[in-house]
Amino acid sequence: MEPEDPFERLKSMPPRGHHALLGIYHIAAGADWAELACPFSAGFLMDAGSGLVSSGPVISLIDAAAGAAIIARTRRWEPMATLDLRVDYLRAARPECTLHARATCHRVTRRVAFTRCEVHDGDPANPVAFAAASFFFTSEP
Amino acid sequence: MIERAPYAQLLGVREWTDAQGNAGLFMPASPVLEGRQGFLYGGVIGSLLELACLAALAGESEVAGERPRPINITIDFLRGGLMVESYAQARIVRLGKRVVNVDATCWQSDRESPIATGRMHILRA
Repeated sequence: MEPEDPFERLKSMPPRGHHALLGIYHIAAGADWAELACPFSAGFLMDAGSGLVSSGPVISLIDAAAGAAIIARTRRWEPMATLDLRVDYLRAARPECTLHARATCHRVTRRVAFTRCEVHDGDPANPVAFAAASFFFTSEP
Repeated sequence: MIERAPYAQLLGVREWTDAQGNAGLFMPASPVLEGRQGFLYGGVIGSLLELACLAALAGESEVAGERPRPINITIDFLRGGLMVESYAQARIVRLGKRVVNVDATCWQSDRESPIATGRMHILRA
């Protein structure tokens, strides 16, 4: 029997923890990228009256997509930790819209993986956020 | 104020103040905040820092009634967050007329060993 591909394993894992709370799911992936999404929830609002969506779910979705992009590229199941994450908020996300995050892992070294991510809420040509995140492989050498 | 936001309630974030007049946010551990088994999700830590920055700005009397918008945030993750209560406190570095620069720290059992720090630019609008 072929050993299971780590990215397929990631996709088939039942959502748990914060991924489950936000409803994060896989959309598509390639050799060095992954696109994840999360449906809008009234719990994402900063102000129920104004309909202003918090950027917090954007941060969590980016973290998830970037981690998935690394596994899509390396095809390895290695424990890793987010080192840093920088997000530019180009505009506020619209309420009622599903958030999409497409992350690309553009470089992997023995210890560190570098990613970029774009977030939109329906139209990829009208992004909500751009992000850059780096990750550290935590296993002992 | 921040703790009334639906998103803060989703995370279980509450406000605290101490006898010295310091203020910040705390977030009890919960299974819905977990990432890797046994560890707080990184995105949740970042979101707590962001809420702390927004709360610090909301605490400025001269910006009451404003609707600040995040411009960007940079988060450094220093340690894995354990599944215990987390605290965050932010400091306004510069309160400009249009842009505010804020930094924030997140810690758990030991304030001297922060698990993450963040910096944020916020547009006053």
